[in-house]
Amino acid sequence: MAKEMTLSGCASSAQAAKLAKVEVICSYPIRPYTAIMMELAKMVANGELDAEFIHGEGEHAQLSVVMGACAAGARALTGSSGVGVTYAMETYSPIAGGRLPLQMMIADRALDPPGDFGSEQTDAMSTRDQGWLLGWAENPQEAFDNSLINYRVGEDHRVLLPQMVCQDGYFVSHIPGKCIIPDQSQVDEFLPPYKLPHPLDPKRPISHGPQIRPDQGTIMDLQRAEAMLDAPKVIREAIEDFNRIFGRKYSPFVEEFMTDGAEMVFFMQGAHAMTARHAVRHLRQQGAKVGLVKLRFVRPWPTDDVANILSKFKAVGVIETSTSYGGAMKGGNLLHEVRASLYDCPQRPLTTSFMAGLGGEMVPLKEFYWMAEVMAAGLKAGKMKKNVFWVNHEFDA
Amino acid sequence: MPHFKIPKEKEVPLGCITPAPVGEQPMMITGNWRIYRPVLDPEKCNLCMSCIIFCPDACWQLNEEEDEPVWNAKYCKGCAICVRECTSGALSNEYELNFQDGVVRLEKPF
Repeated sequence: MAKEMTLSGCASSAQAAKLAKVEVICSYPIRPYTAIMMELAKMVANGELDAEFIHGEGEHAQLSVVMGACAAGARALTGSSGVGVTYAMETYSPIAGGRLPLQMMIADRALDPPGDFGSEQTDAMSTRDQGWLLGWAENPQEAFDNSLINYRVGEDHRVLLPQMVCQDGYFVSHIPGKCIIPDQSQVDEFLPPYKLPHPLDPKRPISHGPQIRPDQGTIMDLQRAEAMLDAPKVIREAIEDFNRIFGRKYSPFVEEFMTDGAEMVFFMQGAHAMTARHAVRHLRQQGAKVGLVKLRFVRPWPTDDVANILSKFKAVGVIETSTSYGGAMKGGNLLHEVRASLYDCPQRPLTTSFMAGLGGEMVPLKEFYWMAEVMAAGLKAGKMKKNVFWVNHEFDA
Repeated sequence: MPHFKIPKEKEVPLGCITPAPVGEQPMMITGNWRIYRPVLDPEKCNLCMSCIIFCPDACWQLNEEEDEPVWNAKYCKGCAICVRECTSGALSNEYELNFQDGVVRLEKPF
């Protein structure tokens, strides 16, 4: 029987790895994701999980170890946080290009300088164009679920791409919440055994990762692009099966909360969506027509879903928990993608973005109320005053 | 489902895996990178095998019948590690230009 437990995001992620029967794990400590590896190390030591547990010399080594393991046909897992994620940057493209569907669990953390332990999504967001599936979880349950969903999608032979399964550091990784941990038989029904079509095998010797010629490079880029184009269909199938087998109600890409009759919505991903739900409830009680739209995958970016859903509203406030210094919107990353998705819509909402929850700061209710006021003022004026607002740091607020 | 056109002759296997070569990899010739080449004086060679051990690309192999190291021109990049490691001074480094078949002279090497 499925059992209910109270687990932090790190603990629930370790449970997911155990039920996915990962075969090779490579660790290197950096907070806050470290707790995932501590849980897994205990499971391996106690004999609960039959996996090779390897200590890497650093994040670059971690990713290289699981790349080899995955190429040899083992379901492989690693993870990191913050500067650890960026230290392994070189490995992300060859893993995706080699079409090796390993999984990296990330509990996000602000990048240096100077060192900051807090949560911020810039670390994994800065890897978003390498050909990995990428998305954030709002709570420990979603972190658990996303791990299984990502293994299933990534290992599908129509996709064969690695996955970054992200959760906000501390807010999700270290705050325990209610988790329904399913039976092994349910997980086995959802997640078939891992089978790479091109494994390293002494009986049929092949080389992985050879030097290639420039004309082969284009074709390999194109194949990776095609895998990303095919991924949304596979994600939809996987979410449908997941909801059926585990009794959940996920939308594949974009989830709506209290959007009936809403004129303006917050658009965001990750842990702060939980606070946003409370803010939306309170604002609704006061008569504001506010809703919440939550993103589940940054890659593949759900262009059509975002366009169809956001074009129903009059104003969209994108909450950016990552930075894109000097970008087109001079703020975060998500508004670029949101605006690009909406460009072809006949009816476009007003859009703006809010820099909030950076460096590990919370996004308290009063900040959501302020953001709603800014959006309402924009609606009234027929134009947003700015493309990006740094919450708490605007002169005229 | 293919979304784009890839001509047959341009197809690349998934992840660009290649059949593991037996002996040599004909798909990746590297000898044309060379501007120096190691030259062996068999008279001086004491068969210490250092060149065979140290060559990162396995371009020195022992011909057991002749008792002599044999150089592989197709893959030697001219790094000269063998020349440096040679214990008897039998190997010397020479400009590729000094040879009629020097790869730097070729219009289309190999």
